[in-house]
Amino acid sequence: MNARIRRSGANKKTLGQFLLTHLKNDWQIYVLLLPAILYFFFVHYLPMYGIQIAFRDYKAVYGITESPWVGLKHFRNFFGSYYWKRLFANTLLLNIYGLIAGFPIPILIAILLNQTNSKKFKSFTQTVIYVPHFISTVVLAGMIYIFLSPTNGIINHLLTSMGRNSIYFMAESRWFRPIYIITGIWQNAGWDSILYIAALTGIDPQLYEAATIDGANKLQKIRYIDLPSLVPIITMLLVLNCGQLLGSNTEKALLFQTPGNIDTSDVLGVYVYTMGLGGGQFSYTAAIGLCLNVISFIMIILVNTLVRRMNGSSLF
Amino acid sequence: MSKRAEVVENTNIIKKTAGDRTFDFINYTILVLILFIILYPLWLIVISSVSDAREVLAGHVFLYPIGLTFDSYTEILGYRTLWTGYRNTLFYTLAGTTISVISTMMAAYASSRKFLGKGLVNFYFVFTMFFNGGLIPTFLTMRDLGLYDNVWIMIIAGAISVWNLMIARTYVTNSIPGEMYEASMIDGANHFQVFFRIVLPLSKTIIAVLIVYYGVQRWNDYFTGLIYLRNRMLLPLQTYLKEILASLQSTSNLIDQMDSYTIQDSVEALQRAEAAKYSIIVISTVPMIVLYIIMQKYFVEGVMIGSLKG
Repeated sequence: MNARIRRSGANKKTLGQFLLTHLKNDWQIYVLLLPAILYFFFVHYLPMYGIQIAFRDYKAVYGITESPWVGLKHFRNFFGSYYWKRLFANTLLLNIYGLIAGFPIPILIAILLNQTNSKKFKSFTQTVIYVPHFISTVVLAGMIYIFLSPTNGIINHLLTSMGRNSIYFMAESRWFRPIYIITGIWQNAGWDSILYIAALTGIDPQLYEAATIDGANKLQKIRYIDLPSLVPIITMLLVLNCGQLLGSNTEKALLFQTPGNIDTSDVLGVYVYTMGLGGGQFSYTAAIGLCLNVISFIMIILVNTLVRRMNGSSLF
Repeated sequence: MSKRAEVVENTNIIKKTAGDRTFDFINYTILVLILFIILYPLWLIVISSVSDAREVLAGHVFLYPIGLTFDSYTEILGYRTLWTGYRNTLFYTLAGTTISVISTMMAAYASSRKFLGKGLVNFYFVFTMFFNGGLIPTFLTMRDLGLYDNVWIMIIAGAISVWNLMIARTYVTNSIPGEMYEASMIDGANHFQVFFRIVLPLSKTIIAVLIVYYGVQRWNDYFTGLIYLRNRMLLPLQTYLKEILASLQSTSNLIDQMDSYTIQDSVEALQRAEAAKYSIIVISTVPMIVLYIIMQKYFVEGVMIGSLKG
């Protein structure tokens, strides 16, 4: 009996002491963390609290927390509307085509670069392929409008010189996806190869030497050394990308959208932007945003579990 | 040729099988092609900006400048709005990047050390990568916080990126040995002293990388200004850029529809507008390319170390 009391008393004391010593040692760590913690609180977590307007009818006078509840009205409106299928299809197709066309290219670049013998050429190429990443979306769009101009763009000059008719690329629905995806590859493929290059640089050179002695050629080295060592990163990026299949680069889609290509360029992100901020339908578009968020979240967890079952490496 | 060199050459020949030589040939061909695809559009913009506008419009300029002239650059000197945007963006980029880099480094060092609640804090950061409030709730929250049409939104929005934070943390964990902390702690240094005297001086590489990452993000940011700013005196460069490029676009469309060859003035206006587009693109992109090239020395190394999981 006595022993138990003594022990519990001792425990309490240690817990208090434990916290106190930690606070004494660690308070400076918390101070260093403070700006980041505040930032994420105000810019990320507070808006999550604001998601509740998806279930309310937002009125500026009542604000986020006082507007009347309407339950699932906005969700029903959206999924009952004529547009939602087109919006989902456009967004999904744009991302799936983009993933199929764009995902392998950074891997290819990294592997090819890793197999070059000249150090100078390698570092020059590495420097150059990152450059497009430093160009803004606005400038990219400006360049595309210039190059694809029906009257004096270089592409149409080329077409007409070959005796073809010129094409108004930016005003045709069927051209939106190719243009969007190809410019994306141009701008990001080099940049996205960084992670793969880093992984390949980390491979033990003895592995290659041993392979050479065993008589392996370069293709075999790629097949049996390079690719296996890239699998963890490929998996990680694939999982992250699958979580983004309904996401959209709203800024870019907005800049590439014209009245002519709206059939394919109308993606969810743009719709939320134009109806929400342009049209003032805050609650309705917040509901759409919430759907996307939840779907992405579930997808990322599903794909991650699937991948973990298949090959044992996963994101988390 | 000396005997030694001959031997070296011979072993090289022996080492390289015919298959490998074919591979090398194809490899270099593809890489050179990639370099061309990346550089040609940029080259085309630069040469068009210093060529005679008539030649550019006629589609004659595609390899080198024709009728070398800097008229388009003097023309855009008179674009008042462009320079307002330039000044604003310069401020947003300098102030924003400074704040971002400092707070990211602070959090990176702190979260790499052992302390009570470490797992919780890391979860708190990483969770925001997978779930967020979305555009509209974020907009309304920022408006409620008084940041709508406020200069500070340009500094605060996107101030810390989880991705950058993780890269910086990996770098700090991997490149600064734990014994160093222990030694300085025994000498009586506290976390602030360790951070300022040991971590920051040893993290030049990753700081350079962060400056490039955050700097570019700020400089190229179009969306934040589009959503939150109404006061025209506060708008960043990218917004004005978009306006100018779009208005020049519509000028040329308008003139396309007229019988332009009979209207001398319009032709000249079109030519000036056309030439201005190229020089505006050059002027607004060059600072970031220069920043990248200056930092390039640190860049590759820093990204490599930061991105390798420790």
